[in-house]
Amino acid sequence: MNVGDTLVLKKSDVTMFFASIAHDMRLVAPKRRFGGDVIFDVVESPKEIAWDYGHDVYPPKRFLLPHYEDMFRYQANGDVRIEDLGEAPKQAIVGIRSCDVMAIRFQEKFFASQIVDPYYKARSDNTVLFSLVCNKPPKKECFCICCDSGPYLDAGFDVEMTDLGDEYLYRIGSEKGLKATEPGAFMLEPAKPEAFAQRKRIELQADSLFRTEAYFAKAIMFISTNDVPDKVWEELGSTCFRCAACTNLCPVCTCYTVDDRPEGEGAFVRCRSWDSCQFAGFTREASDHNPRPTFGSRVQRRFYHKASYQYIMRDGTHGCVGCGRCVSACLTKLDVPSVLKRIRRSMPEYLEPRKTPAGEV
Amino acid sequence: MIDLPTTCGFCSCGCALYVEPVGNRIAALCPSTNHPVSTGRLCIKGWNATPSVTGENRLRTPLVRKGDKLEPASWEEAISITSTKLRQISSKSGPHSIGVIGSAKTTNEECYSLAKLARGVIGTPNIDSACRFYDASLIPALLETTRVPASQIDINSIASAGSILIVGSNVMDQLAHVGSRIQDAVENGCKVVAVDSRVSRLAPQASMFLNSRPGTDLAWLRVLIRTIIDRQLYADEVPEMRGFEELRNSVGDAELKKLVDECGITGEAIVEAAEALAKNKPVVVMFGLGVLQQPESTRIVKALADVAILLGGSVMPLRGQNNAQGASDLGLAHDLLPGYMSLLDAGARSKWEQMWKCVLPSEPGMDAARMVRACGSGEIEALLIFGENVALSAPNTDQAVAALDKVEFLAVADMYLTQTAELADVVFPACSFLEKDGTFTNIERRVQRVRKVMEPIGESRSDLSIIGALASALGASLSDDPAEVMAEIAGSVASYENVSYGSLDQSWGDQWPMEGAETRLAPIPAAESREEPDYPMRLIASRINFHQQTGTVASRSAVLAREYPNTFAEMSSADAEKLRLRPGNPVRISSKSGSLTRRLVLSDSVMAGCVHVPFFFGGDSPNVLASGECDPVSGVPVYKACAVRVEAVK
Repeated sequence: MNVGDTLVLKKSDVTMFFASIAHDMRLVAPKRRFGGDVIFDVVESPKEIAWDYGHDVYPPKRFLLPHYEDMFRYQANGDVRIEDLGEAPKQAIVGIRSCDVMAIRFQEKFFASQIVDPYYKARSDNTVLFSLVCNKPPKKECFCICCDSGPYLDAGFDVEMTDLGDEYLYRIGSEKGLKATEPGAFMLEPAKPEAFAQRKRIELQADSLFRTEAYFAKAIMFISTNDVPDKVWEELGSTCFRCAACTNLCPVCTCYTVDDRPEGEGAFVRCRSWDSCQFAGFTREASDHNPRPTFGSRVQRRFYHKASYQYIMRDGTHGCVGCGRCVSACLTKLDVPSVLKRIRRSMPEYLEPRKTPAGEV
Repeated sequence: MIDLPTTCGFCSCGCALYVEPVGNRIAALCPSTNHPVSTGRLCIKGWNATPSVTGENRLRTPLVRKGDKLEPASWEEAISITSTKLRQISSKSGPHSIGVIGSAKTTNEECYSLAKLARGVIGTPNIDSACRFYDASLIPALLETTRVPASQIDINSIASAGSILIVGSNVMDQLAHVGSRIQDAVENGCKVVAVDSRVSRLAPQASMFLNSRPGTDLAWLRVLIRTIIDRQLYADEVPEMRGFEELRNSVGDAELKKLVDECGITGEAIVEAAEALAKNKPVVVMFGLGVLQQPESTRIVKALADVAILLGGSVMPLRGQNNAQGASDLGLAHDLLPGYMSLLDAGARSKWEQMWKCVLPSEPGMDAARMVRACGSGEIEALLIFGENVALSAPNTDQAVAALDKVEFLAVADMYLTQTAELADVVFPACSFLEKDGTFTNIERRVQRVRKVMEPIGESRSDLSIIGALASALGASLSDDPAEVMAEIAGSVASYENVSYGSLDQSWGDQWPMEGAETRLAPIPAAESREEPDYPMRLIASRINFHQQTGTVASRSAVLAREYPNTFAEMSSADAEKLRLRPGNPVRISSKSGSLTRRLVLSDSVMAGCVHVPFFFGGDSPNVLASGECDPVSGVPVYKACAVRVEAVK
């Protein structure tokens, strides 16, 4: 068995297979809740995994970058002492969508660039991603197809599973995936040619079923060259409910703030929690000057990160994986597809014909 | 993560959310996708609910006043001091010298039990909820007109409204889910007619945004009603309705021509608004605190209900507090019994006398605002306050604080040491909505389950358990089991008869049914003019998106507190120039009752002749400017449209 191998796992064996993996690590998987809600969470038994889940609101990024986490405890008076509180349990995230896999890869790169973030790195080192191909887009808001991050992957996963009816096509994508497979390897069988053909059919069909589109190219051009007039940003900003769900629930967004929670007698715990570029307090400087003083300018900042050449050059991809969570989480219409459309469609009314001679940029 | 969702304790939208507790804090939080209101979305306060309620300064033990200081004490000591004091005062001056003010943020079970404690155990008629300081004027007004003291529609049906009249509410900032559905409605072609003294974030959604001078809503509403009647824009069945002739006669003197001078709205605009509303059905009439805290607020709400009834539409009052509806439903009021039964109704009285084993007077007791005043006059000698920062929310702050300081005995139950708790003789540490079981009733009358998702912080207890302990120290027995209390409510309050914890574990909760009572039109006579030459400007007080109530809870979240770290007042640049005031400098805003100093910011969203003061930044309250005058019917203090003067601080 090698990286790159494609095998099959019978559905009747799936519970036993993940039970064998769970000896070594905890399982994080989509879990059914009240009233049809599904949330990724630690499952006690693979029986709890909701394989056919549709829409999950809370991205699994929180198992690598927790919503709130205690980083370390320090004693500020007397002898200064620091106690590491970071936790990085070994875990398999099972059933994660392709878009969320690509988002985690984006974050891994971000947290490893320049100064390596030890908390994030420890967690990502201990995490194996078992991604699940979307045979059809699980919700109408999905647009991963516009972001090269789904509904199936060519690379980036540790293991990728495709639902073929009675069995899963099981592709091993990395050393980590290979190692995690070992305890249950005896349950896997080589894939027959028909399985590959079926996977091809699933790819073609899944591609044809998307209902939300986000054509980035033109919008990226306008955003990168700063050609979107302030008026458009402010108009967008004026509709914002300032809830920050767009960044909280974005599987790509990495921004956080830190806080010191006093525990008494000079002891403090340094906590980290998700923060948002949509808040004035996020960029306000000590002098009270704010480089992003208006709601519109903060919406602009968000989209500059999501869709500009400058960030594509830095990150290698745009900062969106098309999971559609901003579409369903926004109280108004400041989601990626809607804003990109607004920028694409309405730009001509604002743009003067360019005076630059042809050929010159 | 906890398997079952709970209900958010901030605003009255009542979103369902999931949380993951780790020790004394919350490590994760997300909205429910399938809940009919939250639909996978939360507002800024919902997202930051947990740091707000688990703040580091949470009260962990009871406190008892020893000399000048509040010292930690045991529960036994705190309860025994309180019960002894209540007994003494009751036998010395009678139970009517004791007052009880409850909170619209506590659960239905707690609201009901507190009413029972006051009327049944202590024996005082002086029981009220903090709704008196906010929105209680809608209750007498709607009981008389629509006969449903609540919203007639649910949040999701806003999206299919043909037109919406919305008065005195910055709904986008205050009730995000209502605001979001208004945006959906507009996208579906709904015409929004908004009337407010300040241009709010609702403006981009409005087909017509009318700037009315503060305190003049009654005047233009009378003209609007007259226009609807004169032009026969009303629904077909209206002329046969009870009260139609009286209404028509009462607005006969309302004239289009005078409108501009009085209200700042032109007659043409009113005619256009009337036609837009009448042509685009169904009509929804919404109103917020901008209306509910004005002079003559009950009459204004009646006028708004009349507009809805005339046009065959529905009323949706925009109440802010998470359980304002439940607190009102369950008899936390000086003049009503649970289920809005009148104290004047002998049958209802005798039913509750049997239930609660007590004697109920037919006269209403003192309302919350009057109780605070009576603390100053000595009429009230002991006051119990549950979950309301009265020192900031009562009008005429200086007087209110002095009164609370003067009262012989003050006990306060709260999560934090509020400005009110600082004045108390006994402070009970109350736990948050995440640490107890119960139900809240949201803005659309949906009774929803609140679930205990973590252990109470420190020694804090639920209000229900505090009420139970007080009752037992006073020799009575009140259940501290929320399910048991809900069973008692379901057995005795008609609108809650189908509510049980069993059924709430199967569904998101149902809206209580609206009785089939016949709607009535109420006459709307004119109000007196209220010019005060020494105080030529009008106050607009409002709340910022990131704040909630008096800041007891919301201000504990670093994210929420960070957005507007400094206080300010807003005024148009023309007014500032006229008064020779510089932006960035401090200005003094004074009324007959008091004054406060704020940094001036220029804003075109504030109309000429007005100053806008966002309220409650860490103890700074524009309620110092409120005289303490109340709406004569409901007793809701007048906080809006106060006559003020603005001058530079030398």
